Amino acid sequence: MGKRPVSAEFVFATAQYESGDWDSAPLLPANIIDTIARYTEIAVAPTGVIVPLSDDRMLRYPLLYLTGHLPVRFSDAERRNVRLFVERGGMLFVDDHNHDIDGTFHKTATQEITRTVGPLIELPNDHQLYSAFFKFDGPPTTSHELNGWGDNLVHKHLLAVMRGGRIAVLYSSKDYSSEWNYHPDSKRFMSIDNTRFAVNVVVYALSA
Amino acid sequence: MRSPRSQLEFACRVGVFALLGWLLGASLIPSTGRRAEAVAGAALESRLARWTRRPLGDALHVNLDATPSAWAVDWLAALQHSGHSVTWTGNPAALAISADAVADPRGGARIEIAAPTNAKVVVRDDASVIDSLRIANLGGSMIVPEVVGRLAATAGGEVAGISPPDSARIRSIVVVGQAGWEGRFIVAALEGRGWPVIARFSVAPNVFVGQSTPPALDTARVAAVIAVDTSLQGLGATIERYVQSGGGLILAGSSSLASTAASLAPGALGARFRPAVLPRDTISLGSTGFYPVASLKPDAIALERRGAGVTIAARRVGAGRVMQIGYDDSWRWRMAGGPGSDAAHAAWWSRLVSSVAYAPSGRRSEVEASSAPLAAMVARIGPARPIPTGADARPPVDRRIYMVLIMILLLTEWASRRLRGLR
Repeated sequence: MGKRPVSAEFVFATAQYESGDWDSAPLLPANIIDTIARYTEIAVAPTGVIVPLSDDRMLRYPLLYLTGHLPVRFSDAERRNVRLFVERGGMLFVDDHNHDIDGTFHKTATQEITRTVGPLIELPNDHQLYSAFFKFDGPPTTSHELNGWGDNLVHKHLLAVMRGGRIAVLYSSKDYSSEWNYHPDSKRFMSIDNTRFAVNVVVYALSA
Repeated sequence: MRSPRSQLEFACRVGVFALLGWLLGASLIPSTGRRAEAVAGAALESRLARWTRRPLGDALHVNLDATPSAWAVDWLAALQHSGHSVTWTGNPAALAISADAVADPRGGARIEIAAPTNAKVVVRDDASVIDSLRIANLGGSMIVPEVVGRLAATAGGEVAGISPPDSARIRSIVVVGQAGWEGRFIVAALEGRGWPVIARFSVAPNVFVGQSTPPALDTARVAAVIAVDTSLQGLGATIERYVQSGGGLILAGSSSLASTAASLAPGALGARFRPAVLPRDTISLGSTGFYPVASLKPDAIALERRGAGVTIAARRVGAGRVMQIGYDDSWRWRMAGGPGSDAAHAAWWSRLVSSVAYAPSGRRSEVEASSAPLAAMVARIGPARPIPTGADARPPVDRRIYMVLIMILLLTEWASRRLRGLR
């Protein structure tokens, strides 16, 4: 294999927005990067980046991860950039750190997404996303969905905004932000790596 | 001794008899001299019928500013075949037009024009004027999205016309490489332009997304292969066989480092050129990084340069075409470029693929004569030549003049005699 150019590396990017606690899962990026490097031969940058949605530089990271607990209200610049990001083929992965369907994050984030790029629809559990690398029957359940702090519901589907047959915005109420927010070394204590679904998200974004 | 008056009357009578005798002789004894007739190009078509009635062997010559219409050339050729000497001189513009279907799902035609250097050529179809171009180095070309009816090129008074080309038959494009943004957005660009794409991206050893089995490389199904990186290695020797048989190959980024690409690539890869722009600068294609194509093979040509480095080069391999593109992150142009950069990125990739794709169109069985009128005329009646030596190029005298002259002489004699009181 030839020398791998730096520009070809996948960079895990966390979206920073003005209205909420965008940095509520600080250990997640390193954990996902570790997972990508562990299971795939995708060239991945060893550290992630944080990019403000209001900054044009966000367009240089076609997969953006966005999370938080607090209300989401995009500024005009954020809204303009997110709209352009989706139109040009980027994929925004939004995860509700509250793991519920009536919380402020869920209500405001889905409103904001609908307003900015279009309505969210249920993603079928046989979608290509669930077989992009590992095989899943649907979105993997998290330990936070039934722990009494949320709505006591297992969310059976993820939501998505589709563009040209592909996922432009992937919305999760599963609280993967809590599920994956730990140091990568802790994986050795797990019988099954619970971050494997992140590989599917990244592989789907890079190939679909 | 006759008076001068009677001498005049005698001379008139002799003149009349001489003219009548000459006319009688000319009508009974055919002329042995070869006559020639020359005409300007503008009067040719009206003269052809008369030329047809001229004695065989007469030299017929036309001075041309522009090539006559096809039927007039056919008529001249028929006169030549019937035994006339048909020649022409002049300087009609050597104009020619050809049109081929562009291998693009959106259609379009590539129009090639040959004309004298510095000539201004106007190209039009049955709908309207398409464009004009000033010819440099004897030729020019343009790509038009659509052609309505016949195409015509006009330079001065010369007109060359051709039927529109059949559309090209579009086959699939295979994209291979590791999963990454470049391959992902190449696929998006081509699919957005209507190309059927077969993608096969490697994500782990022996794990692929997209098509799981190696695609069958056959020009009946695949128009071109795009290699994003050295994953091309996995296709083995089939890629060379495919290109030799007419398939197109685009070696993007580092893909030509694959050993299977070494004999196909137009050149070697130099050290990657770092992007020259700051993160906040507007990204355009030329501002992203690239591998310069170095050590071009003798039959390779450089198609694009950035600074001192060649960014795009191409060569023919067997019946196929190989293009080497130094850019390995054109996706940045699409995602982070200025307004319209996503469409420009898609159009750019589609053009690259079109230029190498195997996409045969319905070929014409023969070249239309109207596509190169001067060449067609030369093929029918020969190159420019002066009037043959020995031919009498003086215009023939209208014989009615002789009759008028006879009448004048008779009237003169009659008037003179009457004035003298004679009958």
